Amino acid sequence: MISLVRYLAVDVFRGQRYLAPLLVFLGVMGMLFSSDAGQPLEAYSGSSALLYPIAAWMAVVVATSEDVVRREITVVSAGGWSRVLTAAALVSVLFALAMALLAAVWPVVTNPHPYTAGEFFVGLAAHTGCALLGVGVGLMFARPVFDSIGRTVLAVFSVVVLTYPLGRATPLGWVLDALGHNRASLSLLGTVAVGVALVSAAVVAGVRRA
Amino acid sequence: MPGARNFTGASIEIAGTVPSRMRAKASGRDVRGGYLGVVLLDQVSKRYGRGPWVLRDLTLEVSGLTVLTGANGTGKSTLLKIAAGVLKPTSGRVSRPASVGYVPERFPSDVKMSASAYLAHMGRIRRAESGDVLERLGFVGSMTAPMSELSKGNAQKVALAQAFLASDVLVLDEPWTGLDASAAAELVSLLEGRTALVSDHEGHLASATRVDLSGGHVTIELSRVAEPDALGALEGVRSVQARGSSVRVVVAPDRSDQVLAEALRLGCSVRSVR
Repeated sequence: MISLVRYLAVDVFRGQRYLAPLLVFLGVMGMLFSSDAGQPLEAYSGSSALLYPIAAWMAVVVATSEDVVRREITVVSAGGWSRVLTAAALVSVLFALAMALLAAVWPVVTNPHPYTAGEFFVGLAAHTGCALLGVGVGLMFARPVFDSIGRTVLAVFSVVVLTYPLGRATPLGWVLDALGHNRASLSLLGTVAVGVALVSAAVVAGVRRA
Repeated sequence: MPGARNFTGASIEIAGTVPSRMRAKASGRDVRGGYLGVVLLDQVSKRYGRGPWVLRDLTLEVSGLTVLTGANGTGKSTLLKIAAGVLKPTSGRVSRPASVGYVPERFPSDVKMSASAYLAHMGRIRRAESGDVLERLGFVGSMTAPMSELSKGNAQKVALAQAFLASDVLVLDEPWTGLDASAAAELVSLLEGRTALVSDHEGHLASATRVDLSGGHVTIELSRVAEPDALGALEGVRSVQARGSSVRVVVAPDRSDQVLAEALRLGCSVRSVR
């Protein structure tokens, strides 16, 4: 599995399609924290909301990095779709966790308000939850569940856009609500759990569809 | 079952390339329930979504060098993908050994990874050492340049080299595509003694067991087909292909009368039967 994860990660780096979501993420993060972003937890709400679509975009990049034919070879070499899709999910999660960590550290360095260790870990949990939700949504509509990249983009975009107005009806809303009121909440851990479940469900859906 | 097709490949040969963890299995079965070096397809049928049947009730045992032949649209590539484990059959059972090497009909031309990096990764994934396949096939490109810069023939040699990392069975779809004469001859030599399922239009493997997927078929050309799915679902129909304003239906000889009658009932006009 480690060899497979390493191969898929190297392939994503070589393909350079990861640069677009990464640059958008870095650019918007720069804008969000260019001046006083408010109280510590409140400041995390913007970057958490940003990480959700960025992680979904990155997951689509990872899932479609290999074209269909090369993916078939990898599936045969690795011994089945379940191993390859699990490895692709792990690569997507690793990318997402790296961005979550960066997003949690960024305001600690740039925001004029001091951060306690507890606030930092609450922020990290919030970003991790949002990132996992994004990965789950991205993988749920990427190959092999949807064969066409056009349908993938449309489905992921629709779900991401529709998530925000639903407010506290979604796990993303739990996070944004808690951070917006500058308080820690157990719902952050609930978001992480839902994110893990969504990623797992996306892998299962992919294996069934393949 | 009526219409079922049964083929048996060459006699069982297990070459000396079986990994030690497999040799230890006295029963001859490997960890996934397949027999060592043997691919078994039992009553396999395949259709894509609700489309026409591409394969119907096909039984095949591959235990030596086996060549697939047949007209376009008779399901050779689909069968190879099912044998390799890329596709699941709609019905039927497939048993294959753990280590299968697969070369698709067309290796992608836009790979950014170098040949050496790609083969190293594939070797690590399979836990296998890369052999001398590339050298024997006469690879002359750069091993460190992106594979997108390789010629079609050299990219095909890389695809073959990754497949030969497999220790048990090879599944090769038109593997001679892009190869020059000497590389093609060398590939024939590499396949000797291996268990492999190969599609081959050009007759490179004269001594191999041959399985003709279209073996004995009637081709019916129809026009004004309003419900091609209805034709695809009929017993004995092997494939239904749209070709411009007409549709070509490949059907088992013993079912051609019934298919023709059904086509006429559906309001189709018959252009030719051969």
